[in-house]
Amino acid sequence: MAVPLGAFIAVSAVLFFIGTAGVLVRRNAVVILMSVELMLNATNLALVAFSRRYSSIDERGSVFVVFIFVVAAAEVAVGLAIVLSAYRNKPTVDVDEIKQMRG
Amino acid sequence: MYDFIEPALFAALTIATIASGAGVVLANRITTSALLMAFTFLNVAAMFLLLGAETVAMFQVLIYVGAITVLILYGVMFTPQSPRPYGLFFQTQKWWAAVFVVPIAIFVALVSFTFKDSATVAPRGGDLLPLATSVFRDFAFPFEVASVLLLAAMVGAIVLVKRDEE
Amino acid sequence: MPVGPFGIDPAIWAPLRLVIAVLLAVGLVFNGALAQIYLERKIQAIIQDRLGPLHTGPWGLLQTFADAIKLLGKEDIRARLTDKWFFLAAPSIVFSPMLASYVVIPFAPGIVGADLNVGLLYLTTLGSMTVLGIVIAGWASNNKYSLIGGLRSAGQLISYEVPQILSLVTVVLVVGTLSMVGIAESQPGWQLNVLVLPLAFVTYFIAGLAETNRAPFDLPEAESELVAGFLTEYSGMRWAIFFLAEYGEVTVVSSIVATLWFGAWHGPFVEVFPLLGVLWFTLKTYFFVLVFMWIRATLPRLRIDQLMSLCWKVLIPLTLTNLMVTAILLLVFPTTVVPVAIANWILLAFFVVALPYVQRRRLVALRERLRTAA
Repeated sequence: MAVPLGAFIAVSAVLFFIGTAGVLVRRNAVVILMSVELMLNATNLALVAFSRRYSSIDERGSVFVVFIFVVAAAEVAVGLAIVLSAYRNKPTVDVDEIKQMRG
Repeated sequence: MYDFIEPALFAALTIATIASGAGVVLANRITTSALLMAFTFLNVAAMFLLLGAETVAMFQVLIYVGAITVLILYGVMFTPQSPRPYGLFFQTQKWWAAVFVVPIAIFVALVSFTFKDSATVAPRGGDLLPLATSVFRDFAFPFEVASVLLLAAMVGAIVLVKRDEE
Repeated sequence: MPVGPFGIDPAIWAPLRLVIAVLLAVGLVFNGALAQIYLERKIQAIIQDRLGPLHTGPWGLLQTFADAIKLLGKEDIRARLTDKWFFLAAPSIVFSPMLASYVVIPFAPGIVGADLNVGLLYLTTLGSMTVLGIVIAGWASNNKYSLIGGLRSAGQLISYEVPQILSLVTVVLVVGTLSMVGIAESQPGWQLNVLVLPLAFVTYFIAGLAETNRAPFDLPEAESELVAGFLTEYSGMRWAIFFLAEYGEVTVVSSIVATLWFGAWHGPFVEVFPLLGVLWFTLKTYFFVLVFMWIRATLPRLRIDQLMSLCWKVLIPLTLTNLMVTAILLLVFPTTVVPVAIANWILLAFFVVALPYVQRRRLVALRERLRTAA
């Protein structure tokens, strides 16, 4: 009895929702970045599961995953650079307190 | 006779992934969050291995655990906060988040089970050759654009954190 | 499921095989470390014109056992303000990837843990996981010297992964497979890869020195720098685990060099007695381990900025050029590797001759500048 495809998608979906909840609820900017990484991982899991199921046609899902790796790495680098710059301005990473440009 | 191994392994990996994912969001200390995130990445890589995508699994560990986790740990270390209750202690929206996220997550998970095909077809040589052929033949241009993107991100990150020389 | 020897029931043999493999790997690491600790002290001593361990056993052979007993007997100190779980977990995070590397190393024709399709990629991946352990060790010690040492080491390791991977990719381009067994089998007789790709060998060796935190790149863990860097708060058996991890990693890097460039188990009479391949492989690996130790006893330590500039300004352009030239030549002449070999030797000569020349000119210019400024 092999594992059904739906199970992988279910895991991916739950992980994606955990990541979304993290982005919405947590206030620490670095934790928000970590939750975004969780969301990207969930997407990767779903893509690879579908790609391997239909790999007799092609493996384009896995190719897409490789590009997602690249984009995620670039995004974390630039995101952390922004967080560090903001930290230099005012020594906090709490996104509720970085509100100098608010209305 | 050994058919129980794969579902058992998948069940264990699922529990580990979801628990550590929840731990990233719920943990009080940020370093615990970072290390649980690394553990989540390792579990997702194990799931890739279970699916037979070994190259993607190696890339996942190499990029995520080897580089992105270290990057986030650097970010954690260079932004120390004053000691006070962390995490979701003072967060008033957390109950609203739970009320909305948990039912929708359960609903989507249940709907996903309508895909009745089995995911792991007979092991057929992994995904190294099809992946490599696709990336370097059909998707050579996105590959080049991705390298330009990485270059731009590298230069941009350095420029952003450079201190202005007085 | 693999059927075991003597017809053991597969249900028992599969987990038993796993246990035996892990025990073999652990035994290999420990015995290798035993031999290497003794060899290191003797060789460093001889190069430094002294004698090394003499009294414990004949020729000091039991010195390592004495060291081990001392380390086991030390008190397990943990500073109170350190982060308990991370402090305890860090040695394991550094040790485990190294242990897991032994599974793809081909010791003899037919003796390999698992012939992975992506063996070389697997080894690279495991090399990148040790960075995490070192950062955690540095941070969990709650000590600013450890933190700086840990971050410096992480920066060094991450930087030197790039020339390492680029050198490996050059070899893979020529050989055509990522599998370690495939690479070992592609070098029958005297057709060693080092005759084709010597520059990749040299750059990988230098990057491997930096990856294992060995001299002359051992700034993060030297005893006279930063109070031993990220290892400061670790004493006794925990320090021994870091130490074992380092020697194990040295062995893994030497094995990779022996496999990729020197034909892992090829040697005289290995077609007749396949098990003789283990002897040739061990000899080649330990030759490179001795070269590691020789370099440690000879060269002075590099400063962190010299180390980084060596990586980013010298090794990465060199390996990139090597890769590009190899790829172009393989496209233009797909049937033969002779043009690749010629180009590689030319680049190697350029590296050996041009680099000291450029450094000397820079040093002279710097001295001029300082003299006119003073």
